[in-house]
Amino acid sequence: MEMTSTVSLIWHKQQATLLFSRGDKSVNVLDEACMQALASCMDELELASPTYLLLRSDKAHCFLAGADVHAIAAVNNAEQGCLLAKRGQDLCLRLQQLPCVSIAVVQGLCLGGGLELALACDAILAVDDKKTQLGLPEIKLGIHPGFGGCVRLPKKVGWLKASEMILSGRSVHAKQAKRLGLADMVCYMEQVEQAVDVLVAKGKKQQGMKPYWFSLPPLRAFFFYVLEWKVKARFPVLDMDEAYPALSATLQLFRNIAGMDDAEAYTLEAQSIGRLAVTDSCKNLIHVFFLGEGLKHQAAVRAGQTMAADLRHTAVYGAGVMGSGIAWVVSKQGRVDLHDVSAVALSRGMTHIAGFAKRTLSHGRQRLQSIRPTLDASGLHAADVVLEAVVEDLSIKQKLWQDVESKVSETTLLLSNTSSLSVTAQQKGLQYPERLAGLHFFNPAPKMPLVEIIAGEQTSPETIQAVAAWAVSLGKYPVVVADRPGFLVNRCLMPLMTAALRLVSEGQSIVHVDGILKAYGLPMGAIELADRVGLDICLHVGEHLSASFDTDVFQLPTWFARMVKDGVLGEKSGAGFYVYEKGKAKHINEGLHAYLSCTTREKECDANIADDVVMGKQAVLDACLLPMLREAQRCLDEGVVDDAKHLDAAMIYGIGFPPFRGGLLHAMLD
Amino acid sequence: MRQSKCEIIIVAGIRTPLGKIDGALSGLSAVDLGMQSMRELLVRSQVTPKDIDAVIVGNVIQPVEASNIARVIALNAGLPRSIPAHTVHRNCASGMQAITDAAEKIQLGHADVVMAGGVESMTHAPLLFHDDVRAAMSRLQKARTWQTKIKVLPQLLKASWKPRVGLLEGLTDATIGMGMGDTAEVLAREFSLSRIEQDAWALQSHERAQAAWESGWFDEEVMHVFSGSSFTPVHHDEGIRVGQSMQALVKLHPAFDRALGSVTAGNSSQLTDGAAMLIVSHREKAEAEGWPILGYLHDWTYTGCDPKRMGMGPVHACHQLLSARNLSMEDMARVEINEAFAAQVLANLDALGSQTFAEKTWGEGKAVGAPDSSVLNVHGGAIAMGHPVGMTGARLILTLLRQLKHDTQGGLGLASLCIGGGQGAAVLLGGEAWK
Repeated sequence: MEMTSTVSLIWHKQQATLLFSRGDKSVNVLDEACMQALASCMDELELASPTYLLLRSDKAHCFLAGADVHAIAAVNNAEQGCLLAKRGQDLCLRLQQLPCVSIAVVQGLCLGGGLELALACDAILAVDDKKTQLGLPEIKLGIHPGFGGCVRLPKKVGWLKASEMILSGRSVHAKQAKRLGLADMVCYMEQVEQAVDVLVAKGKKQQGMKPYWFSLPPLRAFFFYVLEWKVKARFPVLDMDEAYPALSATLQLFRNIAGMDDAEAYTLEAQSIGRLAVTDSCKNLIHVFFLGEGLKHQAAVRAGQTMAADLRHTAVYGAGVMGSGIAWVVSKQGRVDLHDVSAVALSRGMTHIAGFAKRTLSHGRQRLQSIRPTLDASGLHAADVVLEAVVEDLSIKQKLWQDVESKVSETTLLLSNTSSLSVTAQQKGLQYPERLAGLHFFNPAPKMPLVEIIAGEQTSPETIQAVAAWAVSLGKYPVVVADRPGFLVNRCLMPLMTAALRLVSEGQSIVHVDGILKAYGLPMGAIELADRVGLDICLHVGEHLSASFDTDVFQLPTWFARMVKDGVLGEKSGAGFYVYEKGKAKHINEGLHAYLSCTTREKECDANIADDVVMGKQAVLDACLLPMLREAQRCLDEGVVDDAKHLDAAMIYGIGFPPFRGGLLHAMLD
Repeated sequence: MRQSKCEIIIVAGIRTPLGKIDGALSGLSAVDLGMQSMRELLVRSQVTPKDIDAVIVGNVIQPVEASNIARVIALNAGLPRSIPAHTVHRNCASGMQAITDAAEKIQLGHADVVMAGGVESMTHAPLLFHDDVRAAMSRLQKARTWQTKIKVLPQLLKASWKPRVGLLEGLTDATIGMGMGDTAEVLAREFSLSRIEQDAWALQSHERAQAAWESGWFDEEVMHVFSGSSFTPVHHDEGIRVGQSMQALVKLHPAFDRALGSVTAGNSSQLTDGAAMLIVSHREKAEAEGWPILGYLHDWTYTGCDPKRMGMGPVHACHQLLSARNLSMEDMARVEINEAFAAQVLANLDALGSQTFAEKTWGEGKAVGAPDSSVLNVHGGAIAMGHPVGMTGARLILTLLRQLKHDTQGGLGLASLCIGGGQGAAVLLGGEAWK
């Protein structure tokens, strides 16, 4: 086997440097090869005695990106997982016990196992750089830090901040790290040597319990009680132990190791890792992680990167909720003109955007300033991209494109945020139809990570590549789908909605059906989702799909159409199936009995419903999810999407299919 | 007469609507106003940011949080960092100064294209502490021990905490201590201008501005602004009173000489917020690039006069400019004299048309000539729309060039302002090249 360079020990007089310099990858990873090399470096270091030791990387954008996710995925039994953690712990412990001062010079990504290794050093020096990020994101993969991070981080930054960091998996920038106490010093790249001198002079130090009141067991117990309550509050319906066992396990681990001897604590941590690494949740979350990576690094994205870098000026048409949300997303990458024909719509859209700006910590104001509202189609001549989010009406869109094409340059990309209209039909009559594609965002655009990229008949591959890479630069997961009615996500979602509505027609209670779906892990029940999307839009999509495909899975009940006709449209009209107050579904809409005879039961107590009418949990799930699965299969067969993995990722990032189940096909076909 | 082989032109210009003090535009700072208008102008014209060689912005109440406001505006508007920017200040003519400075820069060959204009947010004129407060604060900061700190405390408490109103002090002449309104009263007395005459002028200003807006004349000159945290759309000049009447005007009390004066809030210009931006270049460049030409900037001049009669500035400036070019007032197709006060405009007209004034002042036998009402401030003036001090000069050039282009199909135009501190400014504009 050929050895690729991973880490090497470099001596400069009496001073040693552990240099991470991965040869075959763009990032440094703590995988098998690296751990072995690190172990032999430790052997050498334990024999020699350097004046001080530095941990550095030869890559400016990455210190150590963490442990090898593949290795975790490959764990088959608890002992194997435990052993994997022990090896990492052992390396960190040997590093910690070196007699000389050790300093981790962190520039670029320092995540997971990488940060745990840095924590084993006497000091962390964070280099102030845009790319510098420190964090322990293990929880997102269904485990917790396993190389001693659960023990060392609380000692370094205190239990309050440490538990927050570990349980949320959030990472911090260099300056935030200094504020947290995670980094001992923050400096600019040019000051590293100077800073190292200062840190070496400080020498090794002992750390006590932080905060001081943590040494009092009752206060400690109270803190953990509150912490558990807060974590559980995030999952009002979901069974946390089943869905995210890592959270409960981490809380339990914290309880056990607080105030405990280090050696014992490490053992507990490793055992806990062993148990977690074999859970379905962990396996599925890792699977989803790779699904996401797959989307971000798909061939189209790589091919389009240079083209996407030139897209600096975007015109967004339509200042509605969708259009303004998209404008905010796009402002991440350059200037935006927000077009609308109504000044009132523009001012509402800008206010909407200002709301996002306020919640954005970095560059919120600058991004807001880079968005220019305009009423008269000015500025199109300089636009690199025109993205429309106007009414879903083919003739309006076609007219818009004709008008836009006369004002933009020949190479300007034209993108339609359509959820149902054919992209090919929109290309009709254009002089350069190859630059028109669909780019379908999900509502709310700044929050939903998926975008569907739709190629029309005449769309060029270059256009698709540029859009895919652009979407990734906007922080989205792009999935390329064929120009078929409903595209991918809505087409698969619709059968779920109609199935749920059919159950309700048959006498199941709305709360019961939605409750079971939520307990399954969906972010909201199918019927609440219909309310949120807007019943009129659901009806439109349902009719459109029914007309396009020879099947009745998209058929909505007749009373549904009557609701729309009467203006009961869901959240936007204040009430649909539920009544909405301040964006929250408060209770079942009492006016529903006009459409749905059985809903009168909703108000009465559940005992009134005969037991044989209430469907069991599994029966409801089967009735709702199987039609969705069948539709997904049909999409694959028809080639709406090429890759089953992309389909799974799309359902997770597009409609929030529970990630801990690993994706629709993954979960249902197993 | 100055000769330059370089013909200065204006490529394009735009302005924000003018918002009353604490009114529609109060949610925007001077930087925001400038940024929005500069951004809008760049988007609309064929000139791209990289064509610009320099930025000059006129501003009077220079906000402390945006020192060298021109640079702050330019960067916020997305101009490349390599383009230098500086701010100019000549009181009420600051916006005009920015444009004529740009022209001079171009004539000297130091630039080909300059973004120039004026911004003002009179809403955000600061409230200031008296100097004794500052002195006490600074002593407190320097005090090291708590004993000395305690000693300084009474000084701090005794200091005068009543704020100084920046806007009022800014509108007061620093050398003679007279408010601008008081200088207008001087003119009203010396030229025996009646209250009725002044109010009639004010009424005409409102009526003309209103008519111009109704006919859509301003639609192209004025951009849409989305103001404040609720992004309220603003397009119209806020100060124009629909259906302003003499009855309403006569009711107002004198604002400066409370007992016997004739200058009221109704016949003075309004305190307002606004910004205007223009792209200045020369003919050769515009023709080479294929840019449109809004109009020509033939000549300009600034003169000094008695600070107590600062309102007479336009008379001196117009005289100097016209006589240097051997022109008379009849040659002007359109004239804009800024309406700081109705009394000032009326006094200007009197003096310009008076032979005795000409003889007494310059020893000349012939009056300069007063512009006819049909060519003067045709679409209303600052009494109706407002006078954001640092911006007005740029607005006058923009609106006059648009008049020469759209109303008179060419010809010469004269824009003039009186300047607080006793100065006058005048620029000679043309719809076509100098013959």
